[in-house]
Amino acid sequence: MLATVVSWVLGAAAVAAGAGVFRVDSMARATFLLLGSFLAVGGELLVLGLDYLGVLVVLMMTMEMVIMAVFMIMYMMNPAGLTPMSMVHNRRGSLVIAVGTFAALAAGILVAPWPPAAGRPPPDPTVALGEALMGSKMLVMIVLGVALFATMVATVVLATHRGRYDRYGDRLDRPRPDDPVPGGVWR
Amino acid sequence: MTALLWLLVALPLGAGAVLAAAGRRADRVAPAFAVAVSVLSLAAAGAVAAGRPRVEAPFLAGIPAGLAVDGLSAVMVLTVTAVTLAVLLSSAGEVGPGEARGRFFGLMLLFAGAMLVTVTATNLVALLIGWEVMGATSWALIGFWWRDPRRVRAATIAFLTTRAADLGLYLAAGAAVAGGVHALELRRLPGAAGPWLALATAGIVLAALGKSAQLPFSFWLSHAMQGPSPVSALLHSAAMVAAGAYLLLRVEPLLAASGWGAPLVAWVGAATALLLGAVAVAQTDLKQLLAASTSSQIGFMVLAAGVGAAGVTGGTMQLVAHAATKSLLFLAAGAWLGALGTQRLDALGGAARRVPAVGLTFAAGALTLAGLPPLSIWAAKDQLLAAALSRSPGLYAAGLAAAAVSGLYAGKALAAVTGQADGVPAGAGGGGGWPGTRRVGAAMTAPLVALAAAAVALGAFALPPVAAGFARLLGAPAAAPAWWERLASAALATAGLLLGIALGAGRLGAAGPAPAPVPAPVPAPVPAVLRGWLAGWLGVEGAVRRLLVRPTLALARGLARFDDRVVDGAVRGAAALALAAARLSATRLEPALDGAVRAVAGGARRLGALARRPQTGRLHQYYAQAAVALAALIIVFVLAR
Amino acid sequence: MTLKLFLLLAAALFSVGLYGALSQQSIVMVMMGIELMVNGVIVGAAAFWRHASPAHPDGQVLVTVAVTAMAIEMAMGFAVVTAIFRARDVDMTDMATDLKG
Repeated sequence: MLATVVSWVLGAAAVAAGAGVFRVDSMARATFLLLGSFLAVGGELLVLGLDYLGVLVVLMMTMEMVIMAVFMIMYMMNPAGLTPMSMVHNRRGSLVIAVGTFAALAAGILVAPWPPAAGRPPPDPTVALGEALMGSKMLVMIVLGVALFATMVATVVLATHRGRYDRYGDRLDRPRPDDPVPGGVWR
Repeated sequence: MTALLWLLVALPLGAGAVLAAAGRRADRVAPAFAVAVSVLSLAAAGAVAAGRPRVEAPFLAGIPAGLAVDGLSAVMVLTVTAVTLAVLLSSAGEVGPGEARGRFFGLMLLFAGAMLVTVTATNLVALLIGWEVMGATSWALIGFWWRDPRRVRAATIAFLTTRAADLGLYLAAGAAVAGGVHALELRRLPGAAGPWLALATAGIVLAALGKSAQLPFSFWLSHAMQGPSPVSALLHSAAMVAAGAYLLLRVEPLLAASGWGAPLVAWVGAATALLLGAVAVAQTDLKQLLAASTSSQIGFMVLAAGVGAAGVTGGTMQLVAHAATKSLLFLAAGAWLGALGTQRLDALGGAARRVPAVGLTFAAGALTLAGLPPLSIWAAKDQLLAAALSRSPGLYAAGLAAAAVSGLYAGKALAAVTGQADGVPAGAGGGGGWPGTRRVGAAMTAPLVALAAAAVALGAFALPPVAAGFARLLGAPAAAPAWWERLASAALATAGLLLGIALGAGRLGAAGPAPAPVPAPVPAPVPAVLRGWLAGWLGVEGAVRRLLVRPTLALARGLARFDDRVVDGAVRGAAALALAAARLSATRLEPALDGAVRAVAGGARRLGALARRPQTGRLHQYYAQAAVALAALIIVFVLAR
Repeated sequence: MTLKLFLLLAAALFSVGLYGALSQQSIVMVMMGIELMVNGVIVGAAAFWRHASPAHPDGQVLVTVAVTAMAIEMAMGFAVVTAIFRARDVDMTDMATDLKG
């Protein structure tokens, strides 16, 4: 009973927060509204019995949103929301597509003959997840790890202001690095 | 002996070919060379006349070309070569140093050679060869002065007429082949089978009548007078026109065997002799008079061929006598033409006195022509009229009438040239010609004298031993004319001659010293309408033009038009059609096709441009397109599963 | 809540996120929309695990993957934005139309 109410509330909160992201003028508020939506989703996960995943989502999303807030403020012109602005394009088309998508999805959800639950949840889903990731789903683990690593390398490479090729020329053959401020690591 | 026969025909032919081919280069040597060749030919003729050889040469499969000299051929050969020699001797006058003498003498020799082949031919093949070469050379000789289109037209008329008649010989040859005549020999022609005999007879008669200028072919002889006088002297007195008569005399057995051939030939000959004699009386030109008289005298020969074997003797006598006489008369006319520049009867007055040699010989010839006794033509005519009497009195009467008429025109000619000189200057008067040279060379008078002597001397034919010998020579029976026949013909001839002289002299007397600017026809005892008809050579030529020439030309024109319009038109139409098709495809089809292709290309280009429009580079639009596409795919997948 | 309701929630979150991704001009706002969409996927995966096959951990693995994808996407997105801002001073999607044509 309590779970049902909580899940309803959390669900409404998630949708409302998500909608609000695109309605507020302040960047910071948008970010934190998104955080709120994620937190509500994490709560839903907890309600569904996925303890580990729920806590994971909460933790991760918090960090993400905080970092995103930094970038948002960096790249958006109206961080504090002092001037009301609406930077949208194709608003009507987007609305139509979004509403159409929801309608189609809802129709599918309501009409599709979902099968009944096959089995019961294990006593400890976290252990099951861990065993799965380390066992039968090892490939997923590996791919995720490699993908994360690749992401790290790629982002650093993309975001570097000046790389060693800028500093040492195309063949890395400059005797002295071309730095605006001399010094640096190693060479 | 056989070699002599080959030499006889090959010598004139070869020499003539050489001279004619050499052309202007041989002008200087031509007269002497030609005279030498003709002397040799005369000698060869004498030899073969004595030796009577026979030769054959392979020609077609199973039909050789054969030559032989029997009695008739011997007489002919001698006659032809003698007259040729005389004519060539005296033709240096009319065909002067500036003219194409090489061509002239060459053609004359070629003609003589062809005539010799004709009179010695044993079968239709050799005869045809000689016949056709004669026709061709006669055309070239009549049209000798070819720069004058009148003369060329005259030559063409003469040639076409005789050539059309020559088709009869081809018809006869075909009938002989079909009728099974061995090697087409002339003496075997009477043995042809059934209807082929009649066809062969008809063909030979047609060809002979055409060549001899008998009715209805007489008109070509009038045109042939446009040639030089030596040509007339040889061709139209002794040789070509005599060839037809010779052929009829040769195939007299065939005419007898056909049954209708002999009477037809005899009556045609009689009619020609009479009517053409009247035409001669009505002429105003000396050469035209002589031409008409030639046709008339040959009518006698043709008449002789149609009255049986006895007529052959008389006909041959007439042939020889006429050859000598007429060639003499033509040569004299040519001499006067060269000296006085005219051949009109009314302008030749006193010509006989101007050059006595020519005048005397002409007089002798005219008297002979009239049939006066005891000259040659009187003797020959008596022979053949006697044979005619034995066949049909009607023929005899017609012959006598024709003899009288011949006296008339001979007298007229004699009176014209011996009459008073009427002061008409030489070269004046319509149709006179050119100013003459006023003199006649010695080379011309000698042959004239020889011919006159022969014309007179051959009167010996009247003597019975001579006639019998001649008949034996020919292998034919001799008819013996009775004394009253001789008297009758002599009286008629004399009467006709005197009347003709009176008429001719009367005209000259009436004209007086003042010359008449308009030539008046010599009065003759015939009404004016008839005179016009006779003067126009019986109007046969006009009829031929209307009935034959004009329809043929119209047909030719029609066919030419057909060829131009239909055949050429079809070709041109095909070409025009192709061009029109090309133009159509260029202006209609090509642009349409091009337009279609360009439309396809344009459509593809537009589709390509259309395909680039979704790629705006705008991220949100890419998202939107992706969302819509994915949604559509998912719906299709879900619903179609 | 039953499966359907959870799925409806997921659909709603997804649609809101789609609207944002389609309509926002700023790059980071588009990324926020995408985050919301992944959010919806997480809820949906979890609901499927709980109500369709709780015995298997496949649903949890899917949630894990989605979360990781979210992190990766955010990191790469910001790196690209930084790079393009450094290169061309661009912070709106409408100015980065290099793929046009």
